[in-house]
Amino acid sequence: MESIEIISKIDKSRLSGIHYLESLMEQASYKEMLSQTEIENIKLGCISLLARQTERYNNGDSSSIRVEVAQSVLTSILYTIGINLKRYKNPDDSVIALQTKNVEILFTEGLKVIDRKISIAKMIHAKIVNNFMITQNVFYSSTVVDGINGFFKLYRPEYAAQEIHITADYPTHITVCNLAGIEFIERYLENIYYENQFCCYFREDRVHRLLSGFHRNYQNLLINLYQPILATAVGSVLCEKDIHLLELSELDVDRLYQLFENKEDFEIIKILKQAILILKDELSTSDELFAYLNKSIFEIAVMIKNAIALKTLGNVFIQPFNPEDEQIIMFSYGEKMEDEKFRAVIDEILQSETIENKISIIQQDIHSLADLEDVLLDAELTNIEIDAILKLLSPTEFIPLLKRYPSYIDIDLRDNEKKLCYCIAKCKASMPREQQLALEKAVNILQDEL
Amino acid sequence: MEFGLSLYNNTLIQKQAVNEVLKYNDLTAQFGLILTESQALQLVETRSIALKDTGRIEFGGGVIEKIIYEFCDSPYISSHNYEETLHELIGIFYYYKNETLDLVSDEDLIKFMKTAFDGICQGSLDLLSGKELYRVAQNIRFSRPFDYTDDFDEEEDYDGEY
Repeated sequence: MESIEIISKIDKSRLSGIHYLESLMEQASYKEMLSQTEIENIKLGCISLLARQTERYNNGDSSSIRVEVAQSVLTSILYTIGINLKRYKNPDDSVIALQTKNVEILFTEGLKVIDRKISIAKMIHAKIVNNFMITQNVFYSSTVVDGINGFFKLYRPEYAAQEIHITADYPTHITVCNLAGIEFIERYLENIYYENQFCCYFREDRVHRLLSGFHRNYQNLLINLYQPILATAVGSVLCEKDIHLLELSELDVDRLYQLFENKEDFEIIKILKQAILILKDELSTSDELFAYLNKSIFEIAVMIKNAIALKTLGNVFIQPFNPEDEQIIMFSYGEKMEDEKFRAVIDEILQSETIENKISIIQQDIHSLADLEDVLLDAELTNIEIDAILKLLSPTEFIPLLKRYPSYIDIDLRDNEKKLCYCIAKCKASMPREQQLALEKAVNILQDEL
Repeated sequence: MEFGLSLYNNTLIQKQAVNEVLKYNDLTAQFGLILTESQALQLVETRSIALKDTGRIEFGGGVIEKIIYEFCDSPYISSHNYEETLHELIGIFYYYKNETLDLVSDEDLIKFMKTAFDGICQGSLDLLSGKELYRVAQNIRFSRPFDYTDDFDEEEDYDGEY
C-alpha cells in the first residue's frame, strides 16, 4: 500500500536547503500562515539572540562587534533554527513550531540537532578511514582524510554553523547541492562512504591501471575516481566479462556502442539499471550502496548519450593502461665544467659578434647538456641565436631540453628561462606535425636520472 | 525574506541610551561636569555615526558611560571641553577597536586611553590617537608586546614624558 502523504500548503520545492528559515517564513507569509506581527516577533527574537550570542562570542569583553562578524553570527542562528525546523517532514508543521515555540528554544534544539549530526559525520568519517581505498590520487586522501579532519577541528556551530571552513576539493559523483555547514559535510561523507565502499571491491592494481587509462597523470588530477570504475564495471556486466578485472577492450567498447546507439534516454537508463542489479548480486552490495549505485547511473546515462553522439564512447568505458609496462629511457644531463672555464666560455661568446662565431665556440667547448643549458640561459643570446642553436641539435639533444622546458608559461620561471621555454616551443612548432608527436611521445618516456 | 542587521535600528534603544548617559551626571557633578539631555542625545548620535563609520554594531550600550566614568576625573577635562572631548574619545575608541583587531577588551582600551591621555599625552587627543594608540595598534598587528616602543631617539624630560 502506498504511503499517504499529507498535502502541505507550503511547496517544499520552494524551500532553500541553505536558507531554510528565511524561505520558510517567506512562503508562510505568502500563504498567509504567518502574520506580519508574528514575523516581526520572530525577527526581533533572532536579534535578541544575536545580542546574546555576540556577547558570548566576545566573552563579555566588548560591547560592539564588527558588522561582518555580527552578520555571520546571525546567519548561523538562522541556519541553526532552520536545521531544527527541517526535522518536521511537513513544512506546515515547521510553521506551527515557529508560531508556538520561542526562538531561543528553537535555537537550542537546533544546536542539539547539529551536535547529533557532527557525531554521525564523525562516525561515517571513521568508517571511511578504516576502509580507505588505496589510491595514488593526491586529492582523494588530502580532502577525505585531512580536509574533513580539519573541518571537525575548525567547526564552531555556536557562531558559524553554516561554514565548512574547508574547500572539499574532491568531487563526488553525485554533487552535493543546496546544503551548507554540517548538512553539507554529512551528505558529502555519505556519498564518499558509498563511493569508497564500491571502489574497495576492486583490487588496487586494477583500479590503478584503469585510472591510468583515463589519464597518465590521474594522481594529480581533481577527478572523481568512482565514476570510471562504476562505468567500467557496468560495461563489463553488459559485455559479460569478469567485473573484477575492470578490463574492457576496443571490441567491448564497439559492442557497447552498438548496444546504446539510437537508444532513448529512458532505454539507456533501463539497461544500466539492469546492469546495476547484476552488479549488486555479483558484489553482494548492501541495499544502501545499491540505492547509491542506482542514483549514480543517471549521470552515466547522460555521459553515454553524449558520447554516442560524439563517437567518444571510449572516454566513458575506459581501456586500462599499465604505466609500468611503458618503456622508460633514463638520461643524464652530464657533468658540468668548472666554473672558471665556464665563465671563460661565456665571456668569449659575449665578445663574439656573429652568430656563426658563437655557434663555433659552443660546438668546440660545450660537451654536456648541462653546460649547453647554462649557455642558453646565461650567454645573453637573442631569440634568433637560440633558435639557430636549437636547430642544430640532434633529437637526442633536443628532447631532454624539451622535457625540462615544456611549452607552457610557468610563473615561477625567471626571464631567461621563459625566453628559452619560448624558443624551444617555437622550434618544436616549426617542425612537421608527425615529428612533433614523436617528440611528445619521447618526452613522456624520458626520465631524468635526477 | 530580509533578515539583515538593519532591523536593529530602534529609537527606543536610543532613548534608553540617552537616559543611561544622563544617569552619570550624578557621579560627574562632583568634578563640575554635567551633560544636558540634548548633549547626551548628541553623544549617542556620535556613537551611532562612529559605529557606522567603523563598520561595527553594538547591542548593549554602555561604552559612553564607561568613557565618562573613566575620564571624569582627568585633570585635562573641564566643563569647557567636556562635551567636545567625549565626542572625540568615542570616535577614537571605536576606530581603535578595529585597529587593535578586537584583541583588546573595551575596559583595557579605555583604561589605556585614560592613562595615556593624563600622562604622556598631557591632555592632547591628537597625541593620544596619532601616537600612543597608533603605537599600540602597530604592536598588536606585528605581534609585539603591548607597550613596546622603538622611540629611542626621543628626548625625555625629567618626568619621563615628551
